[in-house]
Amino acid sequence: MPVIELHYDKLKALIKADVSKKEFVDKIPYLGITLEEVADEYMKVEYNPNRPDFSTSYGVARSLNGLFGFEKGAPSYSVKKGEVNLIVDESTQKVRPIVVSLVAKGLFLDDELIEEIISMQEDLHNGIGRHRRKMSIGIHNLDVITPPIRYTTVPSDFKFVPLDHEEEMNIGEILKRTDVGKEYGHILSDFNRYPILIDSLDNVLSFPPIINGELTKLTTYTSNLFIEITATDIGTAEDALAILAATLNDAGAHLESVKVSLGNSVRTTPDMSSQKMEVDIKLANDLLGLNLTEQEVSESLEKSRISVSSEDGKLIAIIPRYRVDILHLVDLVEEVAYGYGFDRLSPTLITSKNAGKPDETLSLMGSAREVMVGLGYIEVMNYNLVSKKVLHEFTNRKPRTIVKVENPKSLELELLRDILFPSLLLVLSKNIHEEYPQKIFEISKVFVKDARASTGIREVYHLATAISHSTANYTEAKSSLVSLFSQTFDLKVDTIPTFHPSFIIGRVAIVRSGKFKLGIIGEIAPVVLENFRLRNPVTVYEVDLSKILDIIERKA
Amino acid sequence: MKPLHSLERKLVLSLAKNGEGLLEDVAIKADMTLDQARRAIEWLRSKNMVEVKTTTRYIIEIAEEGKRAIEHGLPERRLVEVLKKLGKEVKLDELSKAFDSTPQEFSAAFGHARARGWIDTDNGKKTVKLTSDKISSEESLLRMFVAKKKLFLDEFKEEKRAALSELIKRPGYFTKRPVKTIFIMLTDLGRETAETVKEVKEIDNLTPELIISGRWRELKLRPFDVEAVAPTSYPGKKHPVQRFIDEVKEAFISLGFEEIVGPIIQPAFWNFDALFVPQDHPARDMQDTFYIPNIKDTKTSSLDLIENVSRTHTDGGDTGSKGWGYDWKLDESKRLVLRTHTTAVTVKYLADTRASEAKVFSVDKVFRNEKLDTKHLAELHQIEGIVMGRKVTLRDLMGVLSEFYKILGLKKVKFWPTYFPYTEPSLQSIVYVEDFGWMELCGMGIFRPEVTLPLGVKNPVLAWGGGLERLIMTRLHIEDIRELYENNLGWLRKVPLCL
Repeated sequence: MPVIELHYDKLKALIKADVSKKEFVDKIPYLGITLEEVADEYMKVEYNPNRPDFSTSYGVARSLNGLFGFEKGAPSYSVKKGEVNLIVDESTQKVRPIVVSLVAKGLFLDDELIEEIISMQEDLHNGIGRHRRKMSIGIHNLDVITPPIRYTTVPSDFKFVPLDHEEEMNIGEILKRTDVGKEYGHILSDFNRYPILIDSLDNVLSFPPIINGELTKLTTYTSNLFIEITATDIGTAEDALAILAATLNDAGAHLESVKVSLGNSVRTTPDMSSQKMEVDIKLANDLLGLNLTEQEVSESLEKSRISVSSEDGKLIAIIPRYRVDILHLVDLVEEVAYGYGFDRLSPTLITSKNAGKPDETLSLMGSAREVMVGLGYIEVMNYNLVSKKVLHEFTNRKPRTIVKVENPKSLELELLRDILFPSLLLVLSKNIHEEYPQKIFEISKVFVKDARASTGIREVYHLATAISHSTANYTEAKSSLVSLFSQTFDLKVDTIPTFHPSFIIGRVAIVRSGKFKLGIIGEIAPVVLENFRLRNPVTVYEVDLSKILDIIERKA
Repeated sequence: MKPLHSLERKLVLSLAKNGEGLLEDVAIKADMTLDQARRAIEWLRSKNMVEVKTTTRYIIEIAEEGKRAIEHGLPERRLVEVLKKLGKEVKLDELSKAFDSTPQEFSAAFGHARARGWIDTDNGKKTVKLTSDKISSEESLLRMFVAKKKLFLDEFKEEKRAALSELIKRPGYFTKRPVKTIFIMLTDLGRETAETVKEVKEIDNLTPELIISGRWRELKLRPFDVEAVAPTSYPGKKHPVQRFIDEVKEAFISLGFEEIVGPIIQPAFWNFDALFVPQDHPARDMQDTFYIPNIKDTKTSSLDLIENVSRTHTDGGDTGSKGWGYDWKLDESKRLVLRTHTTAVTVKYLADTRASEAKVFSVDKVFRNEKLDTKHLAELHQIEGIVMGRKVTLRDLMGVLSEFYKILGLKKVKFWPTYFPYTEPSLQSIVYVEDFGWMELCGMGIFRPEVTLPLGVKNPVLAWGGGLERLIMTRLHIEDIRELYENNLGWLRKVPLCL
């Protein structure tokens, strides 16, 4: 989640009354913002991705003013009809079809504000812009541009001086050589013409979504801004533009519209018109467990910076354009709760009619666990994801029907295990300095490819045990196996000679009950012990608990 | 005075009778194994009855060349024997030829023989004659090693030292190495004790034979040192995380909740789409979620239900929502993921059962594609509780969670608003943990209509969920989350059950 720094001085300047540091710190969590760090000069906070309008102190102050009761209802924004035209070329439609724009004049830009604008831009890029793929923002010094501005496409040998560079570079070079080119170039990898914004004198404003031109760079001498947003989706572009407009307005700018035309179709941006939604007072009371009157609901919404009006006996919410998170009536219910104050909601007790109960299968696993503990085994818990090395190479097993995961961040976690005992051998190998004898067991799911399952993969529970000490042997393991089966499941068990590459030839058997094959038991082969750097003999058995439970159910 | 163990008594008496000495000798004289003697000495030392002096001595051991010399004589002796056979005065080159060895060996043997005064040369060193053949001190030293293979350096008399240092110079004759020797002496207390201790017939073990025969009446059972340290034994045990899982389950069951379980591998449909998580949401990225390549789900759900979910994402469908405004893709929803939350199972349960009321829970594994570090694991346990009912409210949710926490010993709880994609309103609970402080635990909220209505769920659904590991770490006083699943046997054996 994105993090911003809120400086008390700045917040104080934006709040319409005197508020102490402590009051800020206490109130912030009730805006849905998490406090990360409280320092002398500032607090570091984390805001949720549904509230991109919290990406600057202006946005947070706007909501705080409401919550403290210093301002109420939706703020209003006046946008003067501007003179700048933005002409869109048809060729952009296949590459990055949407562009919206805004002019902000008369701003006093200091380093702090520039920093805040850039940080907001980054947060919007990463959040609703989905790392610039869906939407990206260019902010320019209007005074060095000669409108009209054209949004068009160019081939890869087109040259200009990119931001923070001194020499001209062509598009191909920018994509290959600059950091931003390498990071975001993939967004344009399907195209051979590239989007560009240029003015009437062919000066380059930006090459979206990669980089701006050096010419229009912001400095502390800049006071008039030209803002363009290119996108693949009109909704997202307008959302971002509204947030920028509201923020720049609160920072003291005068907003002017831009006429964006593509052939005969003309759109004037930004569109700051508010969203209207009927308030469902009953729903609010039902969901929150309150009994608020229409008046109280209205007041609560106004504290959340949402205006209300009565139309034909209905209560209508007027939601400012920068609130991009209100999709449904329930979102208004939450706004009521914010305005009412989450700190005023007290818990209520519901009584239960029914008795609770555990899952039957897991309870039976619990019985097996109880017997293993009684037999003196220590339970271990391993990851379901294991390495190829442990699952196959060290144990000599042939990789048959393994389930892989895509792009794991660690190679220790690449396969879903289809059997547990290799993990137990790994546990023993990490514990060679601990006292012997060592007796461990694990109960966990394993994953087997199975065409009959709807996901193609069957998940079953296994139980595996391992014993290690200087005289560990087959008989000891079998004694424990027989005990597990009789004590837990009242089942007889047979051990039929077999061959298995992880075990000593002649000391390994299939575990069977009646006609059902249930698992394997044996002494681990010395070569496998060597692979795990084990110095004591190890015996193992592993059984399919899910299958055993099937047998028991059939018997019952 | 503490009662003496039979070994202690035996050793004290033997030391008093046979006198002090080296550990090995003391053991032999007391008729004990070395190990028994060591144990008895250790105990007696702690009772201040014996004194132990450890010193370093050097062992001189005969080596290969030395053994050869014992059998065949030193080279200089062999040379003199050859000379005797040839006559008492021969030409130097004849002697050299008859000695039958390398020129180096010959000249070494020649040098030694002359140094012993056994031979002399004439005629400008062309002839050699025998002058004496008395036993050299080196030879008498070698004889000491006929019976014994090794001797301590301090056992050699002064006159033998020179011969030893002479022979030790020759390669392969002797080895010299240091050893620790342990010298055992009785203290005054030890001597006094030896006088008072009598050799009575005491026995260590009461046997079935003694009980049945009644012979125990004739014997004295030796008193044991009941304060002595006994060896540690370890019981079988459940894993601490499993114990905690069981405790959490008990808490749910006592509040009237029923457990539900489901597959770990889920189509993206149930893990994300059904929960109104848009298909381009960052949480669905391969960077954060484990996908299984090359397999797609085949029986996700009914077509109606898929259509409902698809429309809800696109424009809100019949839910009254604006939707996310994008083109929903069926294929994306069929990709298989390792569930990132158990809510995938819960929401399918709600869709399948179509009940109007439910109180269900699960405590089960979830997966995130994380790099493992002190705070992150790729596999975790999630606690999840669900209450569905006609009239359930957010305040009820706060109430039921407070009760749940109370059972787990967490009495203080705060609620702050937050955001989750599939609940509205949403709250974050913060609990006070003794010896730790306030910590964020379960997130909670009421399922959005965009989640419930497409699945045919009409009543509000209260849900809460959170990680189990964070809480158990505070109980076990663990700071690195990876330690929970290291399976260090030392830790598993020692960690107490009551925490």
